[in-house]
Amino acid sequence: MSNAPSVPMIEVTGLSKRYGSIEAVKEVNFKVDRGEIVGFLGPNGAGKTTCLKIMTCFIPPSAGSVKIAGMDVLEKPKEVRRKFGYLPENAPLYTEMIVYDYLSYIGALRGLSGRKLKTKVGSIAEKVGVSNVLSQIAGTLSKGYRQRVCLAQALIHDPEILILDEPTVGLDPNQVVEIRSLIKTLGEERTVILSSHILPEVLVTCDRLIIIHRGQIVADGTAASLQERMAENPPVILRLASSGDGFGAKIAEALTASGLFASVRQRPVGIASEAEFELVPGSVGDVRSAAVELSASKGWKLLEVRRELLDIEGLFRRLTQE
Amino acid sequence: MRNVWVMGKKEFISYFSSPIAYVAITVFLVVVGMKFFVVDKFFDTGEASLRSFFSLVPAFFVFYLPAIAMRLVSEEKRLGTFELLATLPVGDAEIVLGKFLGALGFLAKTLALTLVYPLILGLLGDPDFGAIGGGYLGLVLIGSTFLAIGIMCSAWTNSQIVAYILGAVLSSLFYFIDSILTAFWEGARRVAEYASFSSHFGNFTRGVVDTRDVVFFLTVTALALVVATFSINSRRWN
Repeated sequence: MSNAPSVPMIEVTGLSKRYGSIEAVKEVNFKVDRGEIVGFLGPNGAGKTTCLKIMTCFIPPSAGSVKIAGMDVLEKPKEVRRKFGYLPENAPLYTEMIVYDYLSYIGALRGLSGRKLKTKVGSIAEKVGVSNVLSQIAGTLSKGYRQRVCLAQALIHDPEILILDEPTVGLDPNQVVEIRSLIKTLGEERTVILSSHILPEVLVTCDRLIIIHRGQIVADGTAASLQERMAENPPVILRLASSGDGFGAKIAEALTASGLFASVRQRPVGIASEAEFELVPGSVGDVRSAAVELSASKGWKLLEVRRELLDIEGLFRRLTQE
Repeated sequence: MRNVWVMGKKEFISYFSSPIAYVAITVFLVVVGMKFFVVDKFFDTGEASLRSFFSLVPAFFVFYLPAIAMRLVSEEKRLGTFELLATLPVGDAEIVLGKFLGALGFLAKTLALTLVYPLILGLLGDPDFGAIGGGYLGLVLIGSTFLAIGIMCSAWTNSQIVAYILGAVLSSLFYFIDSILTAFWEGARRVAEYASFSSHFGNFTRGVVDTRDVVFFLTVTALALVVATFSINSRRWN
């Protein structure tokens, strides 16, 4: 949390990764400074996990470079690995091991020993809320506890950087809230990068979002700036009573012909007597009243008009179309 | 080196957190005991020697030790803990050596439980402890070679069963290669004997500790561990 913008904690330059003929990550560039909580957001298969695996020196990049605290992952993998704590996808644990032994084991491999290791296991368990399961066998833990035990493992050596791959996946809503606030607390003194495919989750947890789609970064900014973009120009949904076959196409044609909307798309509704259209406004502005007036003048039976804020799919669609 | 010790200790302890270790040791002791007392009629022969013991155990090891080594790497891959381990500041060679050390501990424990036989011999008669010591040294050497082969096979797959089958097939091939080859072609005897584990082991049971045999087993062990290290590494970096 020094103010000097010296060396970025994570620096990714021109990163690409191919698996055979599939290009999982293409020319990705970003920097993460000390003390930031960054959400790595993207649909499944976007390349998030691949990026994290390269950052943690688990797999090598095909091209480009990753520097952690100024050190290249290919040149100094051992030093790099000392710098971060990593929670891999699905929170892997040794199922037959007792939680206390598991944390001690990872702590020992992280270079702790003796009394220091003991107190560290105790304090970390306290911090992430697993003190009450320390004597349990890891395989018998619930998903929420597994996730937290694995998070404790990532924190045992007080790393400067935390790399968390889908930390809340598979948790129930209460657990999600707990883990989220835990991550926020941890981020006060550390650099955190976490991946997720759930937008609201990263919006509340992270200062900054990096959105990745098909292996490329499509947006990088603060949560607020992103939310603004999502609220900007939302599509209007128009629902009309349908008078039978061919109605939808006819209406869509009329809506397009009106010239009020940048694009018109009919959406399936599953009810034969109704038809729904997605109207994207051409320029910034509210087209709801225009849609109502148009319906009235054409004599269409209006059932519903509403604005639709973008969900993650909509956001990806918008970001990737631009 | 400290990492190797930490991992070795963890592996050794985790053997005993599942019933498999107890079953394996029990089966081993029962089979060895049956052969010693029932098949070879120890009390009737009036001979204070462990020759029959030393002829049986390595052949049994061919199938026993791959079972001890099979889960060491493959299970980590299946559980996903391998990713965790590989992103700790621990080298690939340290991972392999740690696993090897844990398995070696298990082998030592198994062999320690058989020390009751030399004890009985010592109480009842006057055995040649030199030959017995040589035999045990041979068992440790051939056992660690089988374990190293087992770990190598375990590093190739994420299935314990596949690791076991590969390990047992390779181990038996190396152990019985002289009998297999010479059955087809008598001329291959010299080569076969040189490569065969059983012929190198034979000298130890006669109380002859030949440097060539020691070096042979140590070399094969080191080779298998190096291959295991590269296998782990190639998975990481491809």
